[in-house]
Amino acid sequence: MAAGEALKPGTPPPHPSSRMDGLALTAGVPIAELPARDADAALVRRAVGGEATAFEQLYRRHAGRVHGAILRLVGMDRARAEELTQDAFVQAWRKLGSFRHESAFSTWMHRLGVNTALMDLRIRREEDATDSDELLAAAGGEVPFCAAERGDLERAVAALPTRARAVLVLHDVEGFKHEEISAELGMAVGSSKAQLHRARGLLRRALADR
Amino acid sequence: MNHEFQWRSEMRKLAGDAQPQRDLWPQIAARIAVRPATSRWRMGLGLAATVLVAAGVVALAWRTQSANTIPIAATAPAYDATSMAADNAPLAWAVPADPAFAAASRDLDSASVQLQQALEQQPQAVFLVGLLNRTNAQRMRLLRQAPSV
Repeated sequence: MAAGEALKPGTPPPHPSSRMDGLALTAGVPIAELPARDADAALVRRAVGGEATAFEQLYRRHAGRVHGAILRLVGMDRARAEELTQDAFVQAWRKLGSFRHESAFSTWMHRLGVNTALMDLRIRREEDATDSDELLAAAGGEVPFCAAERGDLERAVAALPTRARAVLVLHDVEGFKHEEISAELGMAVGSSKAQLHRARGLLRRALADR
Repeated sequence: MNHEFQWRSEMRKLAGDAQPQRDLWPQIAARIAVRPATSRWRMGLGLAATVLVAAGVVALAWRTQSANTIPIAATAPAYDATSMAADNAPLAWAVPADPAFAAASRDLDSASVQLQQALEQQPQAVFLVGLLNRTNAQRMRLLRQAPSV
């Protein structure tokens, strides 16, 4: 039955699991009318049961956020970000059975996307080998901000060295704490702070040179 | 204004959704297409193993209860548990590489062991031999379909 199509008199309502149009019911409430977290939870349960259409809905609801985070982490490389977004959702499908609903699906999925991008950065090992002592020595005082338009800012962030960019994006854009960044990137908390300082300094210089 | 606050508030300009330039779903769907089938196969095997064990346990209990009234060994050939165990050596060494199949193989191995233990208790119970043979046949079929590591 198509979405919104009226039932004929005497026709029994379709079983919730047979409805693939985004209106699958959870306790009698259509998915579209549920709060986002409840709707995601209902879709996750259906997807765990092997219903790919439910997982497609999860993809459509969260692709923008996941792809956005990955895109920033890989320096606005769209082709690579799209590959990694695909990888993140394929991994999500495989790990969905272990999702315990303790956090929101959106948080879990965002984290999975970020981890996928970070794993790729680690594999590619593009990082310039900056000595951690040198970084720590540079981490004194605050770097004044240099205002810029979004486009200029995006380009300047994308041009940063990989590790500095990853720390800057995770801390200043995605809201990670240094402790979380250090765990994700396998570095000391002090190194994460130093990389952030370095990234801001490089960014400021790049924006000032425009 | 505090520099830290300025950095964070300005960098938040970069936050937000960014849709992929093309629809990624067809490729994702193609990549995950195999999984549900595999899961159903595994679930089917697991269910079959569970049903076999449950049937064995129920039947054993029924036989034990009614042993005094129904002579079961009159036509059944005597069962030598020792030789049967040797003929049907556990296939625990042959674990399929695919984790989905590995789980099913564990279920079947477990069912096989439980049936053999039941046979040790009731050596003349022919129906347990049938259940054991079917379990081992399923295990062999699994081994053929999913090569071991």
